[in-house]
Amino acid sequence: MTPASGVPDAQRVHFTDIQRFLSLFAQGLAGTFLHVKVIETHGMGAGASRIMDGKSIRLPADIADFTAQQHNLGAYRVAVLRQIGYLVEGTFEFDLAGFLGRHTRPALLRRVFATIEDMRIDAAILRRYPGACGDLDRVLAYVLAKRPRISAMRPVSALVEALLQYSLGAARAPLQAQDWGGLLPGMIDAAAVVQRDGAQVHDSARAALDICAELEKLFRRPPRSPPLFLSTLEEFTRPNESNEALGDEEFSPSDAAGLLVEFRGELILDSAFKHRAGGQFATALQETQSPARGRMADGTGDAATAGVESPRSSAPMLHLPASGGPRSFLYDEWNFHEQSYLAAWCRVYEQRLRGDDFGFIGGVRSRHSTLLKQVRRQFSSIKPQSWQRVRRTSDGDELDLDGVIEAVIDRRTGHDADSHLYVRRDRARRDVSAAFLVDMSASTDFPLPDAGAIKDAHADAPATPPPDSGLYLYGGQEEFPAARSAPKRRVIDVSKDALALMCEALQTLGDSYAIYGFSGDGRQNVEFHVAKDFGDKLTARTWAALAAMQPRRSTRMGAAIRHALSKLAREPAGMKVLIIVSDGYPEDHDYGADRTDREYGIQDTARALQEAERAGVVDFCLTIDPAGQDYLRRMCAESRYLVIDDVTALPRELSKVYRTLTS
Amino acid sequence: MDSHSSASRLTAEPWYLPLADEVQIFEAAYQARLPVLLKGPTGCGKTRFVEHMAWRLYRQSDSARRYLELPLLTVACHEDLTATDLVGRYLLTGNETVWMDGPLTRAVRSGAICYLDEIVEARKDTTVVVHSLTDHRRVLPIEKTGELLDAHPDFLLVISYNPGYQSVLKDLKPSTRQRFVSLAFDYPSIEIEATIIAHESGVATALAQRLALVGEKVRNLREHGFEEGVSTRLLIYAAQLAAGGIEPRRACDVAIARAVTDDAEVQKAIGAIVDVLLP
Repeated sequence: MTPASGVPDAQRVHFTDIQRFLSLFAQGLAGTFLHVKVIETHGMGAGASRIMDGKSIRLPADIADFTAQQHNLGAYRVAVLRQIGYLVEGTFEFDLAGFLGRHTRPALLRRVFATIEDMRIDAAILRRYPGACGDLDRVLAYVLAKRPRISAMRPVSALVEALLQYSLGAARAPLQAQDWGGLLPGMIDAAAVVQRDGAQVHDSARAALDICAELEKLFRRPPRSPPLFLSTLEEFTRPNESNEALGDEEFSPSDAAGLLVEFRGELILDSAFKHRAGGQFATALQETQSPARGRMADGTGDAATAGVESPRSSAPMLHLPASGGPRSFLYDEWNFHEQSYLAAWCRVYEQRLRGDDFGFIGGVRSRHSTLLKQVRRQFSSIKPQSWQRVRRTSDGDELDLDGVIEAVIDRRTGHDADSHLYVRRDRARRDVSAAFLVDMSASTDFPLPDAGAIKDAHADAPATPPPDSGLYLYGGQEEFPAARSAPKRRVIDVSKDALALMCEALQTLGDSYAIYGFSGDGRQNVEFHVAKDFGDKLTARTWAALAAMQPRRSTRMGAAIRHALSKLAREPAGMKVLIIVSDGYPEDHDYGADRTDREYGIQDTARALQEAERAGVVDFCLTIDPAGQDYLRRMCAESRYLVIDDVTALPRELSKVYRTLTS
Repeated sequence: MDSHSSASRLTAEPWYLPLADEVQIFEAAYQARLPVLLKGPTGCGKTRFVEHMAWRLYRQSDSARRYLELPLLTVACHEDLTATDLVGRYLLTGNETVWMDGPLTRAVRSGAICYLDEIVEARKDTTVVVHSLTDHRRVLPIEKTGELLDAHPDFLLVISYNPGYQSVLKDLKPSTRQRFVSLAFDYPSIEIEATIIAHESGVATALAQRLALVGEKVRNLREHGFEEGVSTRLLIYAAQLAAGGIEPRRACDVAIARAVTDDAEVQKAIGAIVDVLLP
């Protein structure tokens, strides 16, 4: 309960230890994923630099303001609740910039509004989360104890500070005992309106305007004219020399800064979240839309949003569903440098692939007609009989005549009769579930020599890279201008052909299988594309989905493997197989210290493959990267990978690998 | 097999709070003898609804079916359930084989409601058995005895399945699905769920409302290892424990946090959610 100056380290709570917990806590209460981030400050004063964007929650690196660990954890919980409070109580729907911009004393209005809005949020927290009452009271008392003495302040600042201290739980009577022209009771009454159930952000705004109108009586000089254009919100918070020169009668931004509550932080709303609901103030603002606001909305030159990590790309998927966003999943990642898992580090967005190329499978069948027949024949040879009769079971569809005769004989001869007298028909199935995970990284866009494709098009088309150059993998595309109108065959196209052939063959075999593609852009945006899930019927849509696999971005393999494993885990099959088809080493811009940190991605992938092994999943890596040997041998056992030199051999090799693994 | 609980005899009204027009639809379906499919997540009240409807349609009826001893025959389907288990089999008793009706056959003969719970769990070939009962024919062919059994005029088939957690491998065949009137269930609104919790457990309305709120918030975490969130049934369990004198936070810990997940951090987060929501 007591604020502590020298808290033992054992009681200190570190953000990294509770990040996942806080993330889950926030998601549960807010009903939406909020990125819980750390800001490199310590203790509860960390809120001072807070910028809220409605998508993330920013918390200090550690808190040790209380002597009990539980109380420090409670302070984290309160910080989360307050930031969720702004989100669910509609603060983000308010156009703060427009509201302040139309007032003659924006710095004063900002401070008063922030204080009242915080009162509203705290009251809402107590109503919504009565169990958090103890934590909130403790935190407010701690913050109140750190506030400056009012008696040394100038009248306007003193009144605003008194209101602020009231909002932190200071008793009303002692505050009112100090006379500031008798304005405080009216201010408190005006502000208290926002503590009632159902108060909206506009009530806070209205109360702030009323209070500012009262405070205006204390100024001896008329206010400056409102600025015509506000460049950014920072204008209100940046100390302004010309304001300070106005003397004691003015309430300058530096006065406002002195009245900031560190724990609460400055209320700077990310412009992207301002216009969700038009209240009267938002409407009023729209009438005076300034060029400056336009600049903020498109995210350029805005200091207020400079510290906000860029959110997930607005259109990361090939095809977004008509309604709702893609499902997402969090996975740990192995930090090779620290030799520990980063909890809930990667967010995998799962998305169905949809396409309209219904002619794709026709092309595959014609391109690989001989191979298809061959693979089908091979696969049908390992297909078991469709049904088998299991005799002498305790339960079944019919009586086993031999068993019944023996039982009758046993009974008549005075022996115990066996109760296993039935025959049941069981489907003798291959008990196999297989997931194919295909690399859809940008590098799969590289063209490859496909004589057939070129021949089909123009005989005189310029040459593509020579088959043994390896240039289709990592470079040199521009040196070999492709045939202008020839259908350029790329690495991804061969992968798709190989998978289409597998689908055809697996239909013969009856195994349960799924086809996934993966790519992504950063740990918060790992893309997992589902072309065919387990149990999906093989229809024209499936073929079109497969055809829709296109080169995307990076190769964060670990997270994709972990998501595929979670899908395999739900399969009831006795044998589970994961086959990864890739064209290069795992990489992403934040997969390790930087993009060049190859070892990090390799080690994380190796770890994910170990997890597969522990989960009883047989994994196999097929790569068409000639340099694959170098890193694959560090990722998995020698019997678990294959480097294919000739990419066109992929379809044949894939079916061979599958047969070997599962038969 | 002959010992039936009073619940299955439906001697008392099973309490059910309608969420929408499902009671009227079920009654209309029964009047036309249209088979009914109930879809919805686990523990949202599908089985209770069937029990309630059976009580309304049988025990509240003026017709002779009021006196049917077992108006509702429920079969919990599982992956080893065969057609034989539903229809019946020959048993060896003494020195002779005796035919024993399965629950489906008994319901067809007696005019009861046969409720196949979680139908997709059963083997796919099994579900085909019900096809001839679900169209205009209303007959059950019993292959073993060579009998073609006409359904009793009061007979109705009801099936349920959970489209959420089941493997997509176990989806319902279109040829089966398209024989049923389909009623979709979901977890009720907070107000209705609170009423249900209060009624079923006897806790005060205020606590019931808080528990319903806990349910809503925990369901926001359903992507973290438990796909369905927490069921109304589990919320009732927590309330019942609280009504029995267990401290509500502890009751939620054992009935909700530990019941829905084994992930320690998710359990901890649920614990914190419960902690701030409860007074």
